[in-house]
Amino acid sequence: MDTSTPAPFVNAETLNMFVKRRVRAVVQVQGNEGGMVVGQSTDGHQLTITGVDIPIPVSHFMEVFGIAETNQSIRAEICTDFGPNFGEISHTHGLLICPFVCSTMNY
Amino acid sequence: MYGGGGQYDGAANANALFGGGGFMPSQSTAVPESSGSGLSKVRTAQTLLPLTVKQIMDAAQSSDDKSNFAVNGVEVSTVRLVGRMLNKVERVTDVAFTLDDGTGRIDVNRWENESSDTKEMADVHDGNYVIVNGGLKGFQGKRHVVAYSVRRVTDFNDVTHHFLHCIHVHLQLTRGKPHVNANTGNPNPANQFRVANNQASVYGNTGGNEVSSLVLSVLNDPAIIHLEHGVTVEYVISQLKNVPENAIRDAIKIHVQDGNIYNTIDDSHYKSVVNG
Repeated sequence: MDTSTPAPFVNAETLNMFVKRRVRAVVQVQGNEGGMVVGQSTDGHQLTITGVDIPIPVSHFMEVFGIAETNQSIRAEICTDFGPNFGEISHTHGLLICPFVCSTMNY
Repeated sequence: MYGGGGQYDGAANANALFGGGGFMPSQSTAVPESSGSGLSKVRTAQTLLPLTVKQIMDAAQSSDDKSNFAVNGVEVSTVRLVGRMLNKVERVTDVAFTLDDGTGRIDVNRWENESSDTKEMADVHDGNYVIVNGGLKGFQGKRHVVAYSVRRVTDFNDVTHHFLHCIHVHLQLTRGKPHVNANTGNPNPANQFRVANNQASVYGNTGGNEVSSLVLSVLNDPAIIHLEHGVTVEYVISQLKNVPENAIRDAIKIHVQDGNIYNTIDDSHYKSVVNG
């Protein structure tokens, strides 16, 4: 994890603001095929996570750190299985966390 | 005068005994020294603050020689961090690792004095999310944590909760006491929120909420607050000579709507809800 560019929390809507930058997100896994995970973000949209190296069952939540390749996909560097029971933070709270993560983020 | 060694009568005389020079018992008879300039006088160094690594790295040093830190004006000694453990190194008497919470990395050291400590550290491995409680220390400009507790996260809602807790505490410390900002002369939106009816902040200019505060301070004045029927609008106007009459009347209406003041014997008498 490269902390010279700390990663802000994103959902599908805010991922748009951080394309080509390091981001952090939690998705609920809907499909997992050969390292490519399709998941539902916290605001209900679909995101594609590529480069997932750990087996994560469908309907589990997964946290991913990685580079946002497009406004709908993330290339994963680190994945963590958060299990099936995870109450997710909302879009608003995700933005509030940004100042604590990186002072250079403008939003 | 101080004579031989047997003249020590008690703490009050210690300074007289040693007043001639040499070893000075610093603060031996004085009240406990205050905790540094400009910081909260409350003993907040006892509290556990949830923080992110970025907040720690941005924290100011409270004084050069003490290697203590201050976050949001509060002296910090014990912190809670939640993040991933990296580079765990097990040594004979301690375990060292790096904690990465997504906002930065910080070195953590956990001394193992008892077998329970060793058992606790054996449960956590590289890549695990952990909750670290410990003291924040600084040495030659570098900050690290001396942990007294390192627990593996089993319910990942703890991660979310920790960040929300960091936000909550940060907002409490920065906005929780609006009257602290009164002396800076900079009215900010946070002061629109009426925290208590006994705020007597007086600002130099006459913006909207300043008039509101002035009117309330007149009605909360200890000299008249005991009056059963309160005071008239004319009295408030006469007390605030530099403020336009219309602004005062408007402010009074808003206070009545907000429940800060009420009419008494007739429509022109008002009294504060604060008990005199």
